Amino acid sequence: MDGEAQNESVACEKATLAPVDRLRSNRAESPTPGLVEGTEPGAVQKSAFFAHAQSFEDLTAEAEEKAEQEGVVEDSGQTEDELQVLVGERTITEQHAQDVSPQSRSKEEDMSSEAWRSHRKHVFVLSEAGKPIYTRYGSEEALSSTMGVMMALVSFVESDKNTIRSIHADGCKVIFLAKSPLVLVGVSQTYQSDKELLRELQYIYYQIVSLLTLTQLNHIFQNKQNYDLRRLLAGSEYLTDNLLHRLDRDPGLLLSAVTCLPLSNSVRDVVSSSLQAAKAKNLVFSILLAGDRLVTLVRKKDQFLHHIDLHLVMNLVGSSSSFREGEGWTPICLPKFNTAGFFHAHISYLESASDLCLILVSTDREDFFNMSDCKQRFLERLTKRTAYQALKEALKCPSYSVEQVGIPELRHFLYKSKSSGLYTSPEFPELYQSDEEQERLMGLYQDLHSHLHHPVRPLRFFYRCTNKENLLAWVTNGFQLYLCFSPLGTKAMAVSAVNKLLKWIRKEEDRLFILSPLTY
Amino acid sequence: MSTIRVDAKVVMLGKESVGKTSLVERYVHHRFLVGPYQNTIGAAFVAKPIQLGEKVVTLGIWDTAGSERYEAMSRIYYRGARAAIVCYDLTDSSSFQRARFWVKELQNCEEVIEQVLYVLYHILKWETLKVGFFLSSVNNGPRLHTILFVALQQCKIYLCGTKNDLITADRSLRQIDYHDAQDFAEEIGAQYFETSSKTGNNVDELFHKVAEDYNNAAFQFMSEESGVDLGQKKDSYFYSCCHNN
Repeated sequence: MDGEAQNESVACEKATLAPVDRLRSNRAESPTPGLVEGTEPGAVQKSAFFAHAQSFEDLTAEAEEKAEQEGVVEDSGQTEDELQVLVGERTITEQHAQDVSPQSRSKEEDMSSEAWRSHRKHVFVLSEAGKPIYTRYGSEEALSSTMGVMMALVSFVESDKNTIRSIHADGCKVIFLAKSPLVLVGVSQTYQSDKELLRELQYIYYQIVSLLTLTQLNHIFQNKQNYDLRRLLAGSEYLTDNLLHRLDRDPGLLLSAVTCLPLSNSVRDVVSSSLQAAKAKNLVFSILLAGDRLVTLVRKKDQFLHHIDLHLVMNLVGSSSSFREGEGWTPICLPKFNTAGFFHAHISYLESASDLCLILVSTDREDFFNMSDCKQRFLERLTKRTAYQALKEALKCPSYSVEQVGIPELRHFLYKSKSSGLYTSPEFPELYQSDEEQERLMGLYQDLHSHLHHPVRPLRFFYRCTNKENLLAWVTNGFQLYLCFSPLGTKAMAVSAVNKLLKWIRKEEDRLFILSPLTY
Repeated sequence: MSTIRVDAKVVMLGKESVGKTSLVERYVHHRFLVGPYQNTIGAAFVAKPIQLGEKVVTLGIWDTAGSERYEAMSRIYYRGARAAIVCYDLTDSSSFQRARFWVKELQNCEEVIEQVLYVLYHILKWETLKVGFFLSSVNNGPRLHTILFVALQQCKIYLCGTKNDLITADRSLRQIDYHDAQDFAEEIGAQYFETSSKTGNNVDELFHKVAEDYNNAAFQFMSEESGVDLGQKKDSYFYSCCHNN
């Protein structure tokens, strides 16, 4: 592994001799200037692909602003009594739901069972008329009365010109997100903050919008308030299920960033420019993915893809095997770009057994054959070059081990460059191979993340010792860094490790990040 | 336009989970994937060349999603299609109702084309008179005939009952009587097939028939066409619906 990495970096060194030089001399070797956005390791040189790089704030800001405008009081003080009543009501309705459920347990689960109740995170989506649209566990029909009560809670508080945000009760949080014409409710027994949970609900909301567009949603519910939206969403439940799974597991969704396939930059440049050459009039974004990793992204000048939109595309592609059967052509709304209309995506794998998936996003729904042609041109151009072989070679080791960094106590880390919206992270080490352990580690990162992004008292630097590992988180204007050390290390050691790690990332940035994104 | 030359556009229509994708999968890749049901997202396109004697006809097959969400999109797939394979699940009567819906859709689409062609015909006649070309009614007759002939050949319907293997295993599962389906097919002038993607039963025959019918129609069209060059009429609607893309 180590030897390979060295080879790679040698290749990178050579690549800098190429005329397409990336002004490396302008970039300091020391990571300290990285405290300023745009100079951190992995920072992009021209403009990033993403509309807003610091989108965690961007994502939650919307909801908060609205809440503040309406002068919402958080669940404290005078509303407490009210909420007590509501919580009381809720327990009653849960019991009620238990009585109703037995008939329709067709969708796998018995809703009266302890098992159903003890799921760590429930997500419900309902219409403003209280009609069930989605539940993560169990069947929607059996939950119709519970959802009715949820809606009652929302409208009860609304009638006072107020907005219900959350209920905290008995180790359980109930988070509400009203996004007319939908209402989303999360019931969580995790330690995630309200803000984090709200963000996850936003993702689910965007997932639904991406299938239908907001215009269509509004139109449907304006015409018929008690429309059963499940009719239109039929067959898409697994997309939402998968997205929820990713939210628990994928650091990219936590960091509002995507990760790249490690690739020497000369190869990436060839791939990018081949993609750039295969352009068409209505083509807006060309995205090449290797599984969940970005190989490259070429966009129309002045058009930016939001990372949420990219995550939704990745979720769509990753959740479905249907694109392997031919060339896929599907309408997709990119809600962060525009909630009103559909783009049309040509989705296909470069080779039938390959992980390389090309997504061409066009504005014209009649553009299938043009996009198909673009793909063909890209493939022809790419296969003629040796870079294609190198790319396929790189697919074999889509990640790297943490040992390559050369810090013995370091077990795992996440590093996000803010200006590029990209992050890098090694593969999970031996200790965290099992699903439970990975989820536990992600839980720890989520916890760190919520401390750093606390709405009232955000932290810049956070060191935490638990009996299984020591954790460190650091956020600057330029980057976010989360590290996981063995429990035997010290704080001083952790701090020195940060410097070493940042130097390593700086050295490897050509390979781990996309430094010079292209436009058509 | 496209790098693969497609002779005939074929569109798969029908309710979700009746097995449109499986049918295409069986025909194109000769396999049947067992596993959890995965619905098609949007539509998938595959080009498949098929040998007919000396000639090779390439079918461009559009496998559409059955979900209601994509219903509006389906129209763009069947427009200009030479064949529509309307599928239903032999063990699910609601899917047969859905098949009737699709047939109706297709017929409506054809009516529109006929109307457009009728109007076009009148414009053409008027134009030619104005320019002063002499065209006898004898000459005009076959021309209209050809145009309408093309229009009617526009989209041939193939009715396809899927999951035949289930019926073979247990006759009581059948929900749509063979004769009912056969009668319906006759009524709409469609060919009727019962297939099983799992065993491969009748699948090749179905697509072979589609290709053959296309080939025969094209042959007739060519032989009758003498003197009429449709390619010269640059009207875009006319162009797009009479020329398979």
